[in-house]
Amino acid sequence: MATDITHEVSVIEGKPTLKEIDATIIKPMDEMPNIKFFIAIGFTTTLLLIGVFSLGMAFYRGVGLWGVNNPVGWGFAIINFVFWVGIGHAGTLISAILFLFRQKWRTGIARFAEGMTIFAVMTAGLFPLIHVGRPWLDGYLMPHPNQHNLWVNFTSPLLWDVFAVSTYFTVSFVFWYMGLVPDFATMRDRLKNSTVVSKVKKTIYSVLSLGWRFSNRHWSHYEMMYLVLAGFATPLVLSVHTIVSFDFAVSIVPGWHTTIFPPYFVAGAVFSGFAMVQNALIIIRKVFNMEHIVTLDTLEKMNKVIIVTGMMVGYAYGMEFFIAWYSGHEVESFAFLNRAFGPYTWAYWIMVSCNVIFPQFFWIKKLRRNIPFMFVIAILVNVGMWFERFVITVTSLSRDYLPSSWAYYVPTIWDIGLLIGSFGFFFTLLLLFTRTMPVISIAEVKSVVAGSQPTRHKLGHHEEDEHNG
Amino acid sequence: MDNKILHSVTAIFHTPDDIINAAKAVVKEGYKKFDVHTPYPVHGMDQAMKLKRSPLGYFAFVLGVLGATLGLLLMYWTMTIDYPLNIGGKPTFPLPAFIPVTFEITVLLASVATVVAMIVIFFKFPNNSHPLHDTEYMKRVSSDKYGVTIEAADPNFDLEKVKAFLAKLGGTNVEPIYFDNDEINAKRTLLEPKFLTGLAVISVLVIAITYFTLNKLMFLEPFNWMMNQQKITAMEVTTFFDDGFSMRPPIEGTVARGFKPYPYKDSVDLASRFLVNPMEFSTENLENGKRKYNTFCSPCHDYHGNGVARLNGQFPNPPSLHTDKVREWTDGHLYHIITVGQNTMPSYDKQLTQDEKWQVILYVRALQRALNAQEGDLQ
Amino acid sequence: MSNDNIVLYERKPLPAKLPLIGWSLLLIGVALTVLAFSIDNVRASYNLIIVLMMVFSVGFGSLFLIALEHIVGADWSVPFRRLTEIIAAVLFATPLIALPLFLNLNEVFSWLNPVVMDSDKYIKNKSPYLNESFFVIRNIVVFLFMFLFYFLLVGRSLKQDKTGKADTKKWSTKISAIFLPIFAILITVVAMDWLMSLEPKWFSTIFGVYYFAGSVLAALAVLTFIAITLAENGYLSKYLTEDHYYNFGALMFAFTNFWAYIAFSQFMLIWYANIPDETMWYMQRGGEGWMTVSLGLIFIRFLFPYLALVTRPSKSNPFRLKIIAVWVFIAHYYDLYWVIMPEYTKKTELHAPVYSWFEFTVPILVLGVLIVVFSLVAGKKNLMPIGDPKFRKGMEFHL
Repeated sequence: MATDITHEVSVIEGKPTLKEIDATIIKPMDEMPNIKFFIAIGFTTTLLLIGVFSLGMAFYRGVGLWGVNNPVGWGFAIINFVFWVGIGHAGTLISAILFLFRQKWRTGIARFAEGMTIFAVMTAGLFPLIHVGRPWLDGYLMPHPNQHNLWVNFTSPLLWDVFAVSTYFTVSFVFWYMGLVPDFATMRDRLKNSTVVSKVKKTIYSVLSLGWRFSNRHWSHYEMMYLVLAGFATPLVLSVHTIVSFDFAVSIVPGWHTTIFPPYFVAGAVFSGFAMVQNALIIIRKVFNMEHIVTLDTLEKMNKVIIVTGMMVGYAYGMEFFIAWYSGHEVESFAFLNRAFGPYTWAYWIMVSCNVIFPQFFWIKKLRRNIPFMFVIAILVNVGMWFERFVITVTSLSRDYLPSSWAYYVPTIWDIGLLIGSFGFFFTLLLLFTRTMPVISIAEVKSVVAGSQPTRHKLGHHEEDEHNG
Repeated sequence: MDNKILHSVTAIFHTPDDIINAAKAVVKEGYKKFDVHTPYPVHGMDQAMKLKRSPLGYFAFVLGVLGATLGLLLMYWTMTIDYPLNIGGKPTFPLPAFIPVTFEITVLLASVATVVAMIVIFFKFPNNSHPLHDTEYMKRVSSDKYGVTIEAADPNFDLEKVKAFLAKLGGTNVEPIYFDNDEINAKRTLLEPKFLTGLAVISVLVIAITYFTLNKLMFLEPFNWMMNQQKITAMEVTTFFDDGFSMRPPIEGTVARGFKPYPYKDSVDLASRFLVNPMEFSTENLENGKRKYNTFCSPCHDYHGNGVARLNGQFPNPPSLHTDKVREWTDGHLYHIITVGQNTMPSYDKQLTQDEKWQVILYVRALQRALNAQEGDLQ
Repeated sequence: MSNDNIVLYERKPLPAKLPLIGWSLLLIGVALTVLAFSIDNVRASYNLIIVLMMVFSVGFGSLFLIALEHIVGADWSVPFRRLTEIIAAVLFATPLIALPLFLNLNEVFSWLNPVVMDSDKYIKNKSPYLNESFFVIRNIVVFLFMFLFYFLLVGRSLKQDKTGKADTKKWSTKISAIFLPIFAILITVVAMDWLMSLEPKWFSTIFGVYYFAGSVLAALAVLTFIAITLAENGYLSKYLTEDHYYNFGALMFAFTNFWAYIAFSQFMLIWYANIPDETMWYMQRGGEGWMTVSLGLIFIRFLFPYLALVTRPSKSNPFRLKIIAVWVFIAHYYDLYWVIMPEYTKKTELHAPVYSWFEFTVPILVLGVLIVVFSLVAGKKNLMPIGDPKFRKGMEFHL
C-alpha cells in the first residue's frame, strides 16, 4: 500500500487523552525513584566527585598541574568549554528555531533539550572561571567601577564570551522557566491537600507557577512572549558560538584565523548538541516509558539534522584545507598538513571519521530508524566533536611560527579528571531535573495531540464563515 | 456565606470546537468581563474572543533599542573616554569590536525585560489568591477541560440569566464562584513587620557571609594556599647560591645598553680638555636639562643656581654657579664634577645618563647667561 | 467531501504584452552590451559578470528553494513551487551570458596575465587552480550539473500535473538530498571563480557562503514579486491568503539577517587580524569614494530590509512585500556591484565608483532575461502544481 504522503505523521503516537498525558509526564515526580535511578545518580555523582577532587587539587597546587605549558597555553579547559557550550546549542535550536519554523515534532523533546542547554552552559561556564587560575578574581570579568580604575577590555573576544555566555544562560533560563510555568500550575492543581508532603509540594508548585490560571487572555500574551523570545534566542544562539569561534579566529595563529569559523562553529555546535540530546533521550524515553511521546519519527528527524550539520562541518573542513593551499601562505598550508599528518594525526582522523564519515550511514533509512545504531553514532559524533576542539586548539598552538618552540601537548591526569567531572556535573543535574520537573512540556504536548485543536474549515467554506462571523 | 462575594459563573466544555463556539457566543451576547480557560493555547481563540494582538513585540523592540544604546554608551565611556588604551593598534572607538557585546546586551535586556513586563504588568503575577484558585473548575481546566467564566463585575451580569445562557451553550458544571472578601483584602504590604524582619535577617546574613568570605575565609587554610607560593624576593638571603644573594650579578664584562665608560675619573684636566658637549642648544634639550636640574641639583644649588636653596643650613652651602670661576670652567669640567663629585657634592653618575648630564650643563649655561646677558642676546 | 470539488486553480494565459516587454528589454540590453564591448571591453566585461552573477543567483537560489521544500516537506510553498521551477529556468541563460566573458577572460582576470603571475609567488602558487583551461572546464561542469539537476528536480513535477503521481514526491526528496551537498560545492566554485579570483591574491573561506546568502535572497525576492503580482491579477488561485505570503516575508527576513551575519563575520575577522593580504580587499572598498558605497551596503542590504520586515504586518501585507522584494533585488545588484566593480576601478587607476550607461545596461539585461525566460517557460504550463498531492494541503495552509 502506498503511504498517503499528504497525511502528516502524528507527533504523538496513539491517541492519549489529555489526562493520560498528565499522568505519563508527571509520573516520575509522583513516585519514589526506583533502584535504577539510584544506580545512575550514584555513578554520575562519582564522576562529579572525581571532578571536584581534580578541581580541589588544581586550587591547592595551582594550574601548573595541568598539561598546559608553552607553547600550548590553551588546553583542556578551553576545549571542554567550547565542547559544552556547543552541546547547549541543540536545546535552543530545538526550542527556538524549530518553533519559528513551526516544526511540531519539537514538542516532545523541547523541554528536555532546553534543560540540557542550561546544564551544558553551566558546565561550560565553570571552565573559564577555573582557567583564569585565580578564581577569586573572576568578579573583574564583569565591568564595574572599582578603586583600581580598571575596566574590562571590550575589544577582547574573551570578554565577549563573558557577555555571550551569561546572556545565553539567562535567556535560556528564562525561556525554560516560562515554558514550565503552566506545567507547574497543572502539577499544583493535581495535588490534594491531604498529607504534609503534598502540602509542601503544593506550596512549592504554587510559588513556581506564579499563580498561572490558564486564562486565554494570558495565553495570548504568553504566546506572543514565546514568539519574541524565540526570535531573540535564534540570533543569540548563532552569536554565542560565533563569539566562541572569534576567540580563535581573530588571532593570527595559522589554522585559527579563517573566516568560515563562525558558521562552521555554529554548525558543529548544533551537530554535537543534537547527538547529545539523541543519546540522553534514547535513555529517558526507555526508562520513563515515553516511547509514544518521544517517537521514533522524532528521533529519525533528529538524525536528519545530524547528517545535515555533519555535512556542513565537512564542508568547512574541506574549505579550510583548500583555502590554506589556495592562499599560498607557507604557515597556513603547513598548519593544515600538520593537522592531518603531523604528530596529532590520530586526533585529526578520529575527528574526520566521527564527524564526517560515520554520520553518512544515516543516508540509509533503516539505520536512521535503528535505535541502538543511532545511539552508537551519536556517541561517536560527540567524541568526534570533542576531538575537533582538541585538534583546533592544540595542533595550531603546538606548532606555530617558531620551530624552536614547538612542543607536544600531553594532558595530565588532572585534566582528564576535570573532563570526567564535567560529565558528572552535567548528568547529575540532568538526572535531578528528570525527577523534579516535567521533562516534557505538558501544555505543548497537549496542544498537538490529535483532536486537541478546533476542526478547521475546508477551503471554500472558510470565507463565508468569516463574513458571517 | 455572609462575607462571600460572587466572583463569577463558570461552565465546563468538553471539546475545542465547543469552547470556540461558546466564546463566540459570549462575545455576541455582549459580555465584556469574561474569560476562557484552556489547558493549552487553542488556535483561533484570540479571534473568537476578539482579543487585540499582544503589544509585547513593541515592548521588546523599544527595550532592545534601549539595550543597544546603553551597551554602546558603556563601552564608549570605559574604552574611549575614561581609560583609552591602544589595543592592537585599533582606534579607541573600535566599532566592529563593540558589536558583539552590544548585540548581547540588546538581547539580554529585551528578552528579560519583556518577560518581566509580561508577568508584572500584563498578568499582575505572582498572584496566588485569585478567587478561581483551588476551585474544582481550575482543577479541570488545568488538566483536560475547557472553561468559560463570566464575571460578576460585567455590567450585563445577572446570575440566573448567565447560568441559563451557559447551560444553553452546552456547558456542564455551571457553577458560581464565591470569594472571601476579607481574605482578598488582606493584602500583604511591603511594610509588614514579618516581611521587614525577614528582609533584615537576610541582609545581615548576606553582609556577614560576604564579609567573612572576602576578609577572613580568603586568608584561612586552605584558601590561601595559592597566595603562599614558594618564591624568593629580591633582597632575601638564600642558601641556593653560593654567595648567599638571591639577586644575580651581571656576568663579568657586561655593559649596559647606551653606556660608555668614563675614562677620566682621576683627572679634571683631561676631562676639561677633551670632553665637548655633544648637545646643541635646542628647546627640547634645555627643557629636559631644566627638568633634571630641578630634580637633582636645585635642592642645594637652588632653581637659579645661586647656592641658597631649600636645604640651606643642613649642609655647607655650595658656591654660586654664577661666579666667574664656574663660568669659565669648560663643559668637560662641569661634566667631570657631575660624574665624580666634588667636595661635599656626591657623584650623580647613577641618577643621570650621559645625555642628561650634558643637557643639565646646557641648562646651567643658560642660567649663567641669564644673569650675565649680553647686548646681542635680545635679538 | 463536497469542498474537494472546488477548483483551486484555473489556468489563465499570461498577457501577450509580457513577452513583448521582455524581448524589447532584452534586445536593448544586448544592443547596449554589444556597444559597450566595442567601446571598452574591459568595463563591459566587468558589468557582464554582474549580469551573470545575478542570473546565476536567481536560478541557483530557486533550485535551492525547490530542494529545500522537498527536503523539509514544507506545505506552504507547494502552491508556489511551479513558479520557482519556472524562474529556475533562467539557469539556461547563463551559458549565453558567460560566452562573451569566456572570450574576454584575459581582460578581467589578472591571474591570466603572465606578468602578474610571475611577479607574485602567492598568485603563482595558485596556477594549478587558476588557469584558463581548468577555469573553463570546471565552469562547463558547473553548467552541466545545474542542467542535470534542473531536469531531475523539475521534470517530474511538470509531468505530475497530468499524472498526479504521489511517488514523485519521494523521488524529488531523494534527488534534493543528493543535490544539496553538490549545490554547496557548485555555488562555492562559482563564487570563487567569478568573484573572489577577480583579486587573485585575496582569499576568504566564508566567501561561498556569502554569495549563497545573497543568492537565496535574490531568488526569494524574484519569487515573491512574481507570485504576489500574478496572484493579485488573478493568474493564480484566488484562495491564496496573507498567511502564505507571510512565509515569503519571514524567509526574506531570516536570510537578510543571515547575510548580515556572514558579511559581518567576514569583515570582522579580517579587520581584527589585520593581515595585509586579507585587508587589501576591504582597503580597496574603503577608500576614495568606495567608502560611501561600502557604508551604503550596510543600510541597503541589511538595515532597511531589516526594519521594513521586522513587524508582523509587513511580513504578510502583499503591497509592502512587493516593494521590499524589489528593494531586496536591487540590494543584491548593489552588493554585486560592490564586490565586482572596485576591481575594475583599481585597474583603471580611477579608484572611485563609476556609474554610467555602461553600468545601466546591467539591470536592463537582467530584467530582459528574467521576463523573456519566464514568459517562454511559463508558456502553456500551469502556474501552480495542481498534480501535487500536497497541493490542497498547501492551499489550506494557515499560520
